[in-house]
Amino acid sequence: MRKLCWGVFFIVLCCLISAGCAPKRIYYFGNYSKTLYSYEKNQNEESLLKHKQELETIITESETKNLPVPPGIYAELGYINLKSNNSKEAIRLLQVESQLYPESKHLMDRLIQSAESKDPPISQ
Amino acid sequence: MAILMGPLLSACAPKMTTKLVEFPLMYEERPASILILPPINESTAADAKEYYSTTIQEPLAYSGYYTFPYPITSEIFKMEGIYDTELLVNLPLSKFKEYFGTDAVLFTTIKKWDLSYLVLASTLTVSIECKLKSTTSNQTLWKYTGTVVVDLSGGNTGGGLVGVIVKVVVAAVQSAVADYVPYARQANYRALSSMPFGKYHPLHNKDQKVQFVDQTLEKNKTK
Repeated sequence: MRKLCWGVFFIVLCCLISAGCAPKRIYYFGNYSKTLYSYEKNQNEESLLKHKQELETIITESETKNLPVPPGIYAELGYINLKSNNSKEAIRLLQVESQLYPESKHLMDRLIQSAESKDPPISQ
Repeated sequence: MAILMGPLLSACAPKMTTKLVEFPLMYEERPASILILPPINESTAADAKEYYSTTIQEPLAYSGYYTFPYPITSEIFKMEGIYDTELLVNLPLSKFKEYFGTDAVLFTTIKKWDLSYLVLASTLTVSIECKLKSTTSNQTLWKYTGTVVVDLSGGNTGGGLVGVIVKVVVAAVQSAVADYVPYARQANYRALSSMPFGKYHPLHNKDQKVQFVDQTLEKNKTK
């Protein structure tokens, strides 16, 4: 009986340890790497549109799963809007990134500035 | 039997080290953000650069860091006239802080990126050298030098989160190039496994004692 108790205790302990080590799913990334790879490999309107749609899916999926939107997603979507001269939406998205991840504020402010002046994205 | 096995096992066991012993500066400086530089590709695979750079953000984010979006930063470098990664390597680190506001910069050299298709075992072999450098102290905070072998047969992938993602049929990999992305990502996950967790990870500043295999022996072998 005593042996059995120790056995059960050991199994429970193992479960606790392995559960503690299991990676926690803190983000939803969807097919981000795939659509980004396709875009980097072949930069055209179609691959850009697919990547843009994936970024939008990541935002809505993260919301339904109650997860924070991963770093850079709002920024990338904002940057795509910035390049297609959709400044208002670009600024909104870049501001969301900046609020969600304060580490990005420096770069986001720089991009927002160029969106406001409607210059090419980066000019000194 | 157990008495016999004990010494045998310990003799075979690789030398272990902890995150705190190997990378104390990570716990001192606690960088929150990482800027990924385009890698230097010394391998013979022409697309290794794209595979690496499009799959590195995800594992870094899961490790708890803020990563600047690679498509934006790489385009900024191009607009600034920096097409050559070698030029970036020689820039003073303070410049990256000034421009992007980043705490640390990740430098990577891809030494080997080999895909081998065999009847029974197809593998991706990746050898990389990574260094995470501080933009405030200029010191190397974390580094990895090693070779990761990823099994492409979808079976023995080590399990867990990555294992599930990786289960893609080999035939599909050969026909559609983008399906090869999960393996590149897995190689990056493994290379980053010794990096202490960042501020967005629940184990941030709690993983000092986490053990991993000491790479020093392997380094000596390759020299």
